[in-house]
Amino acid sequence: MSPSHNSKQKQIPQKGQGIAPKRSVFSIIFILLISAVVISVILSVSIGQVSIPFHQSFQILVNHITDGKFGSIGQISDGMYTDIIWQIRFPRVLLAMVMGAGLALCGTVMQASVQNPLADPYILGISSGAALGATFSIMLGFSVGGLLGELGVASWAFIGALGAAALVLGLASIGGKTSSVKLVLAGTVINALCNAFSNFIIYFAKNSDGIRSVSFWTMGSLASAEWSTLPLISAVVIAAIIFFLFQSRVMNTMLMGEETAITLGVNLNFYRRLYMILSSVVTGVLVSTCGIIGFVGLIVPHIVRSAVGSDHKRLIPTSILFGSLFMIWTDIFARTIVPNGELPVGIVTSLLGAPVFMYMLIKKSYGFGGR
Amino acid sequence: MNLNAEHISVSLTGADIVKDISIRVENKQFVGIIGPNGCGKSTLLKSIYKVIKPQKGTVFLGDKDVLKSSARIVSKEMGVVGQFNDLSFDFTVREMVMMGRTPHKQLMEADNTQDYKIVADALERVDLTEYANRSYLTLSGGEKQRVILARAIAQEPKFLVLDEPTNHLDIKYQIQILTVVKSLNIGVLAALHDLPMAAVYCDMLYVIKDGKIIASGSPKEVLTKKLIRQVYEIDCEIYTNPITGNLAIAYLPLYS
Repeated sequence: MSPSHNSKQKQIPQKGQGIAPKRSVFSIIFILLISAVVISVILSVSIGQVSIPFHQSFQILVNHITDGKFGSIGQISDGMYTDIIWQIRFPRVLLAMVMGAGLALCGTVMQASVQNPLADPYILGISSGAALGATFSIMLGFSVGGLLGELGVASWAFIGALGAAALVLGLASIGGKTSSVKLVLAGTVINALCNAFSNFIIYFAKNSDGIRSVSFWTMGSLASAEWSTLPLISAVVIAAIIFFLFQSRVMNTMLMGEETAITLGVNLNFYRRLYMILSSVVTGVLVSTCGIIGFVGLIVPHIVRSAVGSDHKRLIPTSILFGSLFMIWTDIFARTIVPNGELPVGIVTSLLGAPVFMYMLIKKSYGFGGR
Repeated sequence: MNLNAEHISVSLTGADIVKDISIRVENKQFVGIIGPNGCGKSTLLKSIYKVIKPQKGTVFLGDKDVLKSSARIVSKEMGVVGQFNDLSFDFTVREMVMMGRTPHKQLMEADNTQDYKIVADALERVDLTEYANRSYLTLSGGEKQRVILARAIAQEPKFLVLDEPTNHLDIKYQIQILTVVKSLNIGVLAALHDLPMAAVYCDMLYVIKDGKIIASGSPKEVLTKKLIRQVYEIDCEIYTNPITGNLAIAYLPLYS
């Protein structure tokens, strides 16, 4: 399909031509995405510094997942393959899926909560709160309740994320109602404040090792993936997904604005706070596990919206799948682009995300708010 | 269903906007509120549909206490067509109208064939059937307003509140919207700015100035030369249009 020469003038859809596809089209998109995620998982565990043939990685996965009932690995002589796939790459691709799904979900929820298509955990200051917590822990060597090492940083990041979220909500609620504008502004303020404090700590600590680990942390990485990191983060993200799948009606009404929501029977103030708190908890868990991976929560809902429309009944499940897919591939990219090393995946998501976002800003057929 | 608002007082940021207003709409009556810009019409309506909490007063819809009931319960019986309906996110016309079903649905309840039929009927009523798959943000002002009206109709309300529903619309759409509303045959409370139009469609009019009701009654009783001079500070002649038989107003320019 090549665009026709007059496509630029065709801004207004003709009669019968809509922004949202028919149900059957949506089903096809949905099935395609699920297949793409499954195939990507198999590709992802095969690609890397040690390249493993696809059919072998498929067999190893099937064999392990079904606990040896299906898929023989007898002829796969090299036990190293099994270890690479099952101990290193598979947990990592699962973490990528959970991360992508979680970030996309949080982005979608926050965009609805503040009725602003530009909202995501970063703009609303939650990530910089997490970064402040992590910086604090890394530079000053604090850890929570005697827990040492990485867990300490993760806990502090989580506390930072929730603290920032609480401040944003509190600041936006001063003087009665929390309006969407107040939330965005409060987020910007907290964002700046947290960054200033982080930089303050970094400047005075004068600890070059610490600075390196802080900057590595703020760029985000999935390299820490192990089987032991998965249960908590998966449980949180899956619980959030189930909850928000049931909220599509409320979230649609949210996009209509405060007054209309009330006349349609939805008390926006209550749901807005609930959603902000829940998505902050999820963001806190995500960021404390993998550091800051930017742009996913912002960009995935946008891309998905231009394909399936703004109705959350379709938007949420599609965003979750597309977020997973996006994260799997950016991680593949991050660990293969540099020979014998890997890029922080946060750099990759930003490098890919920013141009996509620019393209969508320029492409006017997609309604951004205002017109 | 009848609406009974009594002794409503609203002050916003220290200024008294609505001062002890009582309004009654009998079952299936079309009641209009008229008055100059800033007289408190919108604020009064907003306190009736629960967007603003009045400092004093009660609102009853049938025997339901509107101000003490949850938004969800009220929204099952009261539909609202407000003034500002611009969105940051785009929806199709059908999705917009389907949102009118929200008050009647449980959390995960899917839209069933009955909902689709109600939505199709609502679109038919406002003459937008062919627009069902169009994007809302690409529509004209008049079309948008009809979508919002269709959404309120899909809500299957027993009472409808309209806040200047025909503002900025061409005459064709003004007539179309008010005709559709009238044909619903339910209680209606509408803030209107076009006086001859109000005279045609309303069974009763309340006139508000500076947050107080200064006259009420049938359009013929209320719309007099003297009252219009008093409320709008402009001179006019009122006569019966010889062709339509409706009340007509000829405004006189300020310099004459």
